Amino acid sequence: MGPQHPMTHGLWTLKVKVDGETVVDTIPDLGYIHRGVEKICESRDFTKITTYCDRLCYASANTWSHSYIYAAEDLLEVEVPERAEYIRVIAVELQRIASHLMWLGAFCPDIGNLTAFVWCLREREMMLDLLQELGGSRMHYNFPRIGGVKRDLPIGFAMRARAKIKLFLDRIQETEQLLDESTVFLVRTQGVGYAKPEEMVNWGVTGPNVRAGGVNYDVRWAHPYSVYDQLDWDVSVERPSIKGADSYDRYRVRVDEMRQSALMCLDALNKIPGGAETHYSEGDPMIISKAKERAEEGKTGFHHFEDSRGESMFYMVGGGDQRGKHPYRISIRSPMFLTIPYASKCMIGYKVADIPAIMGSFDPCIGETDR
Amino acid sequence: MGDWFTVRTWASDFSQMVADNTIGKTSFSGYSDTLAAVITETIMAVNVFAIIMGTILVLLWIERKFFARIMDRRGATMAIRSLWVGEGGEHVDWYDELPFGAGKPIRWLNGLLNNTFGSSSKYETVDRVNDRGYHGIWFLLPGLIQNVADGMKFMTKEWMVPAKADKFIFEVAPFLIITSTVMIFAFIPLSSEIYSANPELSLLFLMAIFGIAPLGVFFAGWSSNNKYTLLGGIRSAAQLTAYEIPLLVTVLSVAVLSGSLNIIEIVEFQISSGSWNLFLLPLGAGLFLITMVAEVERIPFDMPEAEAELVEGWWTEYGGMRWGLMFASEYLRSYAACLLFALFFLGGWEMPFGDSITNIIPNQDLILGSVGIGLIGLAIGMRSEYPALLAPIPLVFMSILPPVAWLLFKSWVLFALFVWIRASFHRIRTDQILEFGWRWLLPLSLVNLGIAFWLRLSAWEGGEWPLFVPGLITAIALVVFVILGIDEDTSELEGRTRPYSVYTGEVGPASPRSHEK
Amino acid sequence: MVFSLGIKTRGEYAEEAAQQVIDAAIVRWQGTGLEAEVRNHKSGMARPYVYIKCPRNHWRAVAKWLRFEMGADHCSMITGIHWPDGPDDCKWEVVAHLMRMNVINPPERGGWTKQVIRDPKILQDDDVPMEFEVSISIPDTRNPSVQSVQEVWMGADWNEKETWDLVGIDFEGHENMRRVLQPHDTPVGFHPLQRQHKIRYHDFEVMYDDAQGFGRKAIDEGKTK
Repeated sequence: MGPQHPMTHGLWTLKVKVDGETVVDTIPDLGYIHRGVEKICESRDFTKITTYCDRLCYASANTWSHSYIYAAEDLLEVEVPERAEYIRVIAVELQRIASHLMWLGAFCPDIGNLTAFVWCLREREMMLDLLQELGGSRMHYNFPRIGGVKRDLPIGFAMRARAKIKLFLDRIQETEQLLDESTVFLVRTQGVGYAKPEEMVNWGVTGPNVRAGGVNYDVRWAHPYSVYDQLDWDVSVERPSIKGADSYDRYRVRVDEMRQSALMCLDALNKIPGGAETHYSEGDPMIISKAKERAEEGKTGFHHFEDSRGESMFYMVGGGDQRGKHPYRISIRSPMFLTIPYASKCMIGYKVADIPAIMGSFDPCIGETDR
Repeated sequence: MGDWFTVRTWASDFSQMVADNTIGKTSFSGYSDTLAAVITETIMAVNVFAIIMGTILVLLWIERKFFARIMDRRGATMAIRSLWVGEGGEHVDWYDELPFGAGKPIRWLNGLLNNTFGSSSKYETVDRVNDRGYHGIWFLLPGLIQNVADGMKFMTKEWMVPAKADKFIFEVAPFLIITSTVMIFAFIPLSSEIYSANPELSLLFLMAIFGIAPLGVFFAGWSSNNKYTLLGGIRSAAQLTAYEIPLLVTVLSVAVLSGSLNIIEIVEFQISSGSWNLFLLPLGAGLFLITMVAEVERIPFDMPEAEAELVEGWWTEYGGMRWGLMFASEYLRSYAACLLFALFFLGGWEMPFGDSITNIIPNQDLILGSVGIGLIGLAIGMRSEYPALLAPIPLVFMSILPPVAWLLFKSWVLFALFVWIRASFHRIRTDQILEFGWRWLLPLSLVNLGIAFWLRLSAWEGGEWPLFVPGLITAIALVVFVILGIDEDTSELEGRTRPYSVYTGEVGPASPRSHEK
Repeated sequence: MVFSLGIKTRGEYAEEAAQQVIDAAIVRWQGTGLEAEVRNHKSGMARPYVYIKCPRNHWRAVAKWLRFEMGADHCSMITGIHWPDGPDDCKWEVVAHLMRMNVINPPERGGWTKQVIRDPKILQDDDVPMEFEVSISIPDTRNPSVQSVQEVWMGADWNEKETWDLVGIDFEGHENMRRVLQPHDTPVGFHPLQRQHKIRYHDFEVMYDDAQGFGRKAIDEGKTK
């Protein structure tokens, strides 16, 4: 199923060997949009790399740029004021909702329902409006800065965000009802694409896919960062069947995660501290000009981050005097890079018609896979 | 109420007159009857074809607009509205910046349009996504010519044959499909006076021709030399074959109940016996609906042309008007399915309750029946935005409706039901479709046939149905439907919507997976 | 009914757990040249992770020990760095990031599964999720290679493919090594993340007279890629 195909959610090839309608073997073929981000970033300032990280996974841009920023702060030893952390959490969780809505909006037409597509994108418009207020654009925001965020919350943002999130919580109930009460949807997604969590973790699959398997592992509480420990939220975990997590469980986990992210945003808006400190007091130029001393050659920093699709990680090696303000090496770990081979393995034994149901339920995004 | 729109009689009179005056005056006067018949048939065939082709635009319009309303999607015509109404309650007065006051007429036009076609929405903050209300009927009408534009587009596109495809069969396949589809309409009577051909066994002919198109689909899929289309063609052949049989058995049950294989006589039976077949064979109606949706390959039985896996399925390699004709044939077959449902189960061209009105007020049926409907029209007119002046218009309109219009309205309403189904459901996988067809629909259709036999032989004593028979059957059907509909495990459903909390530590409610048992 | 996750109690357990790993490493790998220490993240909250410097020929054994005795069941990333100007014993470096997730298959009971839900406040010792960073130095050579840990973690499979594809470090014992991000017909020996390959026109370290680079030639012009 070649690079140009409506199902594949991105640019990659899946070579499928079929026997009639049953899938016998699969080989995924990636690398069509390998842009060499890791190499490019070796000759960019620490502050300029944020824009590249937005474009790694374009459906979920904020989570990737924040993932980079935390790693850069680890390398450069920068402290972040608390208000900025809250704003970051709001931005990340709104982005997570938008990313999951995009996933649901793409998953449903794969199975045949065109109505949920438009409904999910309608909801996503609200989230994108909020993110536009925060970050300035609808897709690639370049929102966080080393030591803080780009700018403070706009006036009235809290009011608009609360209204939109409340409307979203009503509407997602409607979409969920459309899907959950439709026998056809249940018949298409239940029993399809079983995956056990131990095997998934061994393969490197994390995030909602593992939580669909019945284990409540989430990087946000296991290796906590930012202010997640001060917010009221639950980890969304599903109870799978004996054979493992099927596509229906993965769908349920993501819908629930949307709710949790929405509640997290509301909570963060309540708990955000006052003041105007949204940035490390010395500001960007000071950090960059001191980067040579802060990030000596050989010094490393890394950060595991809970992205919409799993656990993403940035590993950075400082450049020191020689390289100036550039990192020596930046290495990006993408959750989808390891999930796509695993999902391809999951498809063996099912029908050709199940391929979109399984692949879509794992939520592939090729931008981050190919980097 | 007899059919006063006697097109066929007019046509035959006209052609008889033509024949008499042309050939009848020459030495070949023995052939004047033949000529009259030829002219009559030509006129009728052209009429029927024109009616169908003209009204199929309505069908496509229903599909697009209804689908868009369900999806809450704004179309092109509605989007034009955003030119003068701002988004989200904000409006940039760009015209005020033009020099020399050149923007003033634009400002005036904006204001005028805003007052006529603007709207207010409930939520200010979420205005942009919620401002999708009903903006007036004028915006819905331009959609009618969309498909004419589509047709022109198809005609100008390139059509090519893939290099390694089987050229002859590749070109024969659309020919098979479209000709057999158009031939169907020869046998569908649009009223007792408007039909193209009416052999004694018209139902049999119709079903036979209906079944030729699957062959063409199979040809198209296989000959394209493309593994996707091959998959699509094979799926289609399997699915259509599987659903032909329950369809034929259901149609047979209707024929048994009505006592004839001629469609006009089936409708006459419904009119004369006082009850539509829908109330006598509700199971049959449901089966007919499902099998027809499968036969015309609409969602939820959309597998052969599933976009997600097969990129348009068996017609991937076709382009231009070849594809346009096959696309048209899909809608023509849907139209035929809706018309057949209306003919078999909904009393055809009879006005609803027309019989009752005639019985109550004999010999004044036309005028007084239309008075009744006119009163309804008046009530609607007074409640709507239209001033009460316009109320008589529906009254007059409805009173002169020929029966063919009733048939068409019923089929359009049914098509709206098709579109509703399409918007809400997902595609069912092929093996699940086949299992459903062979293991569920076939036995049910045989049961339905048994019910039809029993009704015709035992319960019907000639003349009209006693009132309790259709009433009882409908009541039973409704009860069964409601029971099946509410058979939900509410605690399980509730458990699904509640997130599994990390800290409650309890095991969630049972969620049995029936497919595993 | 939701509680908030308290970090303070967990932080202590994490320190203890990390220290336990270090102690076990020192005991197990005495005399092999393996160094292990607890380091702290300096971003967000200070939390400890285990840093291990592993000698090259012990990599597979250390990996198995980490997986089966220390419980590192998730291979997050295996990547490589090229240090042409580095110290003599470290011209190439393979860095592996592992995590201890303690994910187990949910237990079955009477035909249904029971979820595995853990409260982070009460996790101790081996249950505490832990990050590991393992660094392997390779001395100067034209064909750097380390042992493959493909059979220890399946996740290492594609990570090693990517490392070889981009950096050029080979993995002995790795089945089905192929190009995964670059096209399949990339010339043999071309690994873009090595230092000698420069990005055309974008190395801002050197100033040019024409800002848009019309007069510049690529450093590697004329060579086949």
